[in-house]
Amino acid sequence: MNRYQLIESLVPILEDTLVICNIGIPSQELFSICDRDNHFYMLGSMGLCSSIGLGLSLTTKKSVIALEGDGSVLMNLGSLATIANRSPENFVLIIMDNGSYGSTGDQATYTSESTSLAMIARGAGCDNVIECSGIDTKELLGDVLQQRVPSVIVSKIDPGSQPLPVIPLHPIILRERFRSSIKS
Amino acid sequence: MKNRISEQLISALKAAGVDFFVSVPCKLLSGQIQLLEGDSSISYLPVTREEEGFGICAGAHLGGLFPCILMQDSGLGNSVNAIKSLIQFFQIPIVMLMSYRGSPGEPVPAQAPMGWLTPELLRLMQIPVLHCHHRQDIADIGPLVSHAWVTQSPVAILIDFNLMEQN
Repeated sequence: MNRYQLIESLVPILEDTLVICNIGIPSQELFSICDRDNHFYMLGSMGLCSSIGLGLSLTTKKSVIALEGDGSVLMNLGSLATIANRSPENFVLIIMDNGSYGSTGDQATYTSESTSLAMIARGAGCDNVIECSGIDTKELLGDVLQQRVPSVIVSKIDPGSQPLPVIPLHPIILRERFRSSIKS
Repeated sequence: MKNRISEQLISALKAAGVDFFVSVPCKLLSGQIQLLEGDSSISYLPVTREEEGFGICAGAHLGGLFPCILMQDSGLGNSVNAIKSLIQFFQIPIVMLMSYRGSPGEPVPAQAPMGWLTPELLRLMQIPVLHCHHRQDIADIGPLVSHAWVTQSPVAILIDFNLMEQN
């Protein structure tokens, strides 16, 4: 299973949540599979998906999902410590770990060698850290959303991306429709 | 160490509508941070790095809050892309309360090169600035913070080393 297939499998349970999606191809894939108002596609600010998700989760009772990548988390590891200590019950960080910088030409990340993001998250103090296959991710995400426990899910998938165009939404339109979906 | 300047600054920000704070520590901001830690009327959390703080503040604003980041001016250099491609691109109002390390009085020489750049970098980044040299300058915070909200933009409050050192 690659990232496109993983996102495709998760889309049904993302409907009742607020989704912050990582910059680049992950956002383009989500946009192409299913575009909804409750999706915030990061158009810039590489590395900050988990931080935006945490900030949002502190302001709402709705479930907030940060759909992250391994390369992105590696460049903002401090975020895991902040999440471990301040995450509310409605925040889930999903790391789609394909061991590769997918948006920049599939260069290998260190998670394809010795680095374990699940162990780093545990070391940062995150209580509920789950490492699983892409195929099992949907069911496990459903469980943690139902239990409302702050969680980090490291979903191990294969590299590879779909060639897709840049998202054609103006940032202010994207911001406003996302904010409307928070209130609805 | 709490002092009157710390209290004036935090009161001015809260009175202007700021209700969500993050901080990256600075010796000169310890009074403000201490006040925020004990203030249940606002949300506050420490962050590990300025760039992360801008991300968290952006998320909090999507949720309807008015954020402020407490940081040293050296953190501006760490955050240029986050401010440009997230905060300004999505038009997110945020107040950057910055201790102006590297201004006269600063004992750490390594702070100076970034300090010399800070005012010009803020200007280049098109971030409106209130530069506080004296205690009475703090009175101008309210209009600047309102300007951030009205224009949906980041603004910066730069506070001289020597002013922060005063009790």
